[in-house]
Amino acid sequence: MISLPDYNAMNDADFRHTVRSFVEENYPDIPRHALSRLHWEEVKPWYLILSKHGWICPTWPREHGGMGLTAGKHLILIEEFERYGCARVNDIGPVMLGPLFLKYGTGAQKAFFLPKILSGEHIWAQGYSEPGAGSDLAAVRCEAVLDGGEWVINGQKTWTTLGMDANWIFILVRTDKTVRKQAGISFLLVPMDAPGVTIRNIENLELEAEFCEVFFDDVRVPADHILGEINQGWTAAKALLGHERVFIGAPRLSASAMSRLKRIALRAGVWDDPVFRDRYVALHCDVLDLTDLFEIYVDKLRGGEDIGADVAMLKIFQSELYQRISELMMEVAEEDSGLRHPPEGDRQLHAAATYLSARPTTIFGGSTEIMRNVLAKAVLNLPS
Amino acid sequence: MSEPDTEDWQENARMIVDSARAVVPADGTLSRVRKARFHGSGFDREVMRQAADLGWILMRVEEDAGGLGLGMRETCALMEVLGGGLVPGPILSSLMAAALLQDALPEAALTGVAVIVTAWQDRIGAQDWCGGASGGRLQGRKYNVPGAADADFFAVVTGDGVAVVPRGAEGLTVTSEETLDGGRTGLLTFDGVEAELLPCERVEQVLQDARLAHSAYLLGLSERALTITLDYLRVRKQFDKPIGSFQSLQHRATEMKIRLELARAAISATARRFDTGADERTRSRDAARCKLRAGKLAMLVAREAVQMHGAMGITDEADIGLFVRKAMSEANLFGGPRQQRASLAALLDQEDAA
Repeated sequence: MISLPDYNAMNDADFRHTVRSFVEENYPDIPRHALSRLHWEEVKPWYLILSKHGWICPTWPREHGGMGLTAGKHLILIEEFERYGCARVNDIGPVMLGPLFLKYGTGAQKAFFLPKILSGEHIWAQGYSEPGAGSDLAAVRCEAVLDGGEWVINGQKTWTTLGMDANWIFILVRTDKTVRKQAGISFLLVPMDAPGVTIRNIENLELEAEFCEVFFDDVRVPADHILGEINQGWTAAKALLGHERVFIGAPRLSASAMSRLKRIALRAGVWDDPVFRDRYVALHCDVLDLTDLFEIYVDKLRGGEDIGADVAMLKIFQSELYQRISELMMEVAEEDSGLRHPPEGDRQLHAAATYLSARPTTIFGGSTEIMRNVLAKAVLNLPS
Repeated sequence: MSEPDTEDWQENARMIVDSARAVVPADGTLSRVRKARFHGSGFDREVMRQAADLGWILMRVEEDAGGLGLGMRETCALMEVLGGGLVPGPILSSLMAAALLQDALPEAALTGVAVIVTAWQDRIGAQDWCGGASGGRLQGRKYNVPGAADADFFAVVTGDGVAVVPRGAEGLTVTSEETLDGGRTGLLTFDGVEAELLPCERVEQVLQDARLAHSAYLLGLSERALTITLDYLRVRKQFDKPIGSFQSLQHRATEMKIRLELARAAISATARRFDTGADERTRSRDAARCKLRAGKLAMLVAREAVQMHGAMGITDEADIGLFVRKAMSEANLFGGPRQQRASLAALLDQEDAA
């Protein structure tokens, strides 16, 4: 195992400097500040470099091959990666599944799966949504039954982000139809090359295949390919959503969109137009205010406090703000807004690219409407 | 500032908020506010005397000038409570006068025997304050002077300095008009008023502080109005269900909550920056964006509160109306949204230059 220094013992400024130097020295010759996700073949060099240096799983404990970073140090790492525009790797294994293995996995599962996430041998996808189970996730119908010491899986998953890049997938399946819907769900681990698994890419509005459908047709996996107890999968599934919402609510998407909006406005010759400015300034203030709100949640993470349901406020405002910025971009782009390819070959100047990339943000990770239902009940204490 | 100060300000803020209970009843009753509406000077001198007794007027006077030397975090904590109680009266204006005058604050104002308010604004719709003096005398007008109808002294801000002027000064005419909330706003006209103009380097800073403090007042007002509205949504039944169970109302309520928390976050972060040393550009930008956020918030909550109260919302009897009228009276003080956006737009070029 790689021997890493104790980063948590460093002061924040030194750690920030360490991360910054690391990125500048090690980031491979792949795109920076990409507007959409890169596929495995493109982003693989960065994953492997992070892996080689022991940096691929920042939050995992050191004894399991992670960096063991505190929430505060992890945040600095994220900030520096984003500042440089590092591409996001296929991080379902390091970010989502790893912590679940550590919490719910058996000794044998940890010994088998964790090293393969660290090395990049296993690239995981998350199989949650189904055609009939989106916001109402607990309605999953994909089912698994035990037969001769094996799970037999039948059903379909969809909106599986970068599923075409993955060689393993974890899925929520129904294992008991006789109980309350949340109480009959289990969490299974399935190799994508198992007989009976087929995938079909879905082209999104940006005409890119970022997600896919995954079909399970009498797929058989050993009985021990379950994470946690039978029918206890819902608890694990929900545990994933907590901290993630803080980061979905981070102001960076909107802040970087503002700098693109400014470039588009300068190019269109409206930067000094008072009508434009009035609207730009309002959005600018929204980003600054969001940053102040975000800091409150970051402080909570730093202090090890639990994040409550109120974090949905960040996600709602961030995603809607990002969309409002993209709408002003489209206006400012004038007749060029309808062009398929970026002006001057520069995606940063392409209002339509931002407009389209802003669409999913109010849908995934809990749609705005569901988030508002949650807020109304859990935070405002309004009746059902 | 060092770490122990962080705890100091929290303790100070807690004590000040507790002291505010003398003026803002913990049970939220607004009978005192209702009683003071639409007669006399539009404010309650007893409240002003309490404000002096409790030390509020001296919050922003430095310790070596005989004040409390408290920060904007404490000031905002107080203003938030006052806003929640719709406290009428020119407390912020008095606080500004003291902050401007420091050890030149008249003794009577310090003890609460007399009321002093600040007259700074040269015209409606702009944040200009440099007018009002000519050849060593006061000449011209000052608009939007709260409490002018019964104040004993005016701290008059001009480009040539700040003057303390008693209301009976020769050449000073005070007129006032009723405001929607039942108070009065004053117009001072100076015709060659003799006064000692004290040099003052901190006018712009005091105005930025006031803009922030007033944002906190609007935050407190909005929070209380939202609380009242949420209570109503929980108890009012139609179609055999509490109306708060209807999704359309729930979603609109969450929007108010989000806007409120953004305002709170911006105001508390800005107060912290003000207290721990922020450069001039950050100060003017952040005071403006807090005021923009809080002004819009108060008007959003006001109109949604009326709608969600249904027909009750359009009666004068329902307390929510007091919040609506106060929001309408106060939202544009120290510059409404248009003015704030305009000044922020001007700052954009400075940011470019920097």
